[in-house]
Amino acid sequence: MGTSDLDRQIAQLRKCELIKESEVRELCNKAREILIEEANVQRVDAPVTICGDIHGQFYDLMELFSVGHDCPDTNYLFMGDFVDRGFYSVETFLLLLALKVRYPDRITLIRGNHESRQITQVYGFYDECLRKYGSVNVWRYCCEIFDYLALAALVDDRILCVHGGLSPSITTLDQIRTIDRKQEVPHDGAMCDLLWSDPEEIDGWGVSPRGAGYLFGGDVVAAFLHANNLELIARAHQLVMEGYKHMFKDTVVTVWSAPNYCYRCGNVAAILELDDKLNRNFVIFHPASQDARGIPAKKATPDYFL
Amino acid sequence: MMQTEARAAAVAPAPAPAPAAINMKVSLGAATAPTPASAASLPHVTGPFRTPERRIITKEDMDQFISSPIRAALVDFIFSCSDACRGLKISHPVVTSPVVTAVTTVLDELEKIADATPPEENPKTRFGNPSFRLFYDRVQKALPTLLEPVVRPREAVVEVAKYLEKSFGDRKRIDYGTGHEANFMAFLLTLYRLNLLTDTDKPAIVLRLFVRYLSLMRKVQFLYWLEPAGSHGVWGLDDYHSLPFLFGASQLVDHKYLRPKAIHDMDIVDMFAKEYLYLGCIQFINRVKTTASLRWHSPMLDDISGVKTWSKIESGMRKLYVVEVLGKLPIMQHFMFGAILPFENVSGRAVKDEDLEADDGHLHVYAMGQEFPVCCGMRLPSAIAARQREGQARVLPFD
Repeated sequence: MGTSDLDRQIAQLRKCELIKESEVRELCNKAREILIEEANVQRVDAPVTICGDIHGQFYDLMELFSVGHDCPDTNYLFMGDFVDRGFYSVETFLLLLALKVRYPDRITLIRGNHESRQITQVYGFYDECLRKYGSVNVWRYCCEIFDYLALAALVDDRILCVHGGLSPSITTLDQIRTIDRKQEVPHDGAMCDLLWSDPEEIDGWGVSPRGAGYLFGGDVVAAFLHANNLELIARAHQLVMEGYKHMFKDTVVTVWSAPNYCYRCGNVAAILELDDKLNRNFVIFHPASQDARGIPAKKATPDYFL
Repeated sequence: MMQTEARAAAVAPAPAPAPAAINMKVSLGAATAPTPASAASLPHVTGPFRTPERRIITKEDMDQFISSPIRAALVDFIFSCSDACRGLKISHPVVTSPVVTAVTTVLDELEKIADATPPEENPKTRFGNPSFRLFYDRVQKALPTLLEPVVRPREAVVEVAKYLEKSFGDRKRIDYGTGHEANFMAFLLTLYRLNLLTDTDKPAIVLRLFVRYLSLMRKVQFLYWLEPAGSHGVWGLDDYHSLPFLFGASQLVDHKYLRPKAIHDMDIVDMFAKEYLYLGCIQFINRVKTTASLRWHSPMLDDISGVKTWSKIESGMRKLYVVEVLGKLPIMQHFMFGAILPFENVSGRAVKDEDLEADDGHLHVYAMGQEFPVCCGMRLPSAIAARQREGQARVLPFD
């Protein structure tokens, strides 16, 4: 697959048009070659723009690129949860993947808890692949790619980016590096915790109401930052009304990039721009206007009602 | 076992045949269980009554649950309630027994608690309003007293109250979904199993009690900004509810002139929203999701409106409910069991609420024999305390 093929596919995906199943397979093969070389904690250089959950909200991703400027003019780091719940998980993930293959040093994708076979079979991505392609192959190719995604990213050795949060099994970055990440997200353990945990106003660790990962308090964060010589943990995973939210004296920030989540929540979205000196600038954005969106194809009646 | 299959599929060089993947989806707990037990095989309720616990811990427990008598009883109960309101408007005169009236009074009192627990101003939380936790605690505290006049034998209150308490959402996460809605039906089922509610009450169960609960729930959802728990987004029926569509379709069966496509006519929806749950839902959704049309924000409801008859919709809703709510582990892992709604699981494990909801979420930390290891004046977290947890039953992850 040459660069011009890839550019054509990117142009198509940018218009929210699907590429063929055979093209998806090739794209995933190419992506695997790149991702397999990435570390569990992938090093990223500033300047970079950090983004949170997208959840298949393709037109809002277009809005994100509009306020943050296009890749590769801007470097991007997406913190997972590209799929499920929204209309366009397929187009969203394939576009980000195609951009990764085209500009591997300009965009970094790390894994969220929704990049999982079990979760995507419940929350929409599996159904969407089946509807749009008539088979589960695209879903399977994507799930294989999910297994190769890095678990975290480190910006200039100072800012750790992870989808969920910390793990009681992990006190140093080196411990993250020893994980065998090329597997389905486990039900528990360090790899699961990184993708499922949440910060909470408590001391120490708490049991998570999600049923996976843990709750972690400000003292845990302070100790972790100190031990690893970091200044900030950027993460996503939780809906934020105002798009982003600081905790623990600005040592943790949650970034959420899916505006008006589920068409109901009325939240704005945010991205975190880091300049080459790691100065932080939050950019808020709203949902794309209705006329910017195409009309969703009328789907067949759900099976239950036939 | 699930995980090994998945890993094998990921590592295999040649694509596995499609049926394997579909089997994977089905094995997540959809309704393909062998020979389900019937509700009739459930024994009569005897004590001792105790605070209900979670018993669906492992995938094997879930499979066991799917073919259990208690699930059959829950399904029977819900479906027979749906039958009982077939073709009836909300205002249709129905038998209201003293117990139905008493439960309505309980819901009225709970609404007063909501009115007395306003949302916090400038909450500084990321989404849900923390006053919800105050509301939840007040409800939990009030329920034994409120239910005392209703429940016989009196000792059963500890079980009955738990299901009603769980009907309002998750205290920690400040969210609400179809699992919580199912708890309200479980609450009604406990009263039914105690013979406090009977078959003649079923029309009232839907047209009075469920309707009352729904309106209270909408108030609470708005008041405290409850997050849609485990919403499937555009791939699901609704962010919060499932049963108003099931009961609502039943109400409209054989209606002389209201057809499924009527949901697109705003005048008709507004005219009949108060009498028909289904149209009430459409009206409510349109009021909340104002930025786009039904086709965008609720494509499933949009698609269903193309079905020819309400009868077909109602039977579709039944299948949907059994698979998508009662058949999904992320929802049912939170369901609780006791003496009134009994379940013997395969794993033999149980999880009490207290295990999951410590007062302040705090786990005592130990590391290397020191109670509070310190580095540069900061207390260190410990993997050991976390590992102490690992021996105990953990619920499976959901989102």
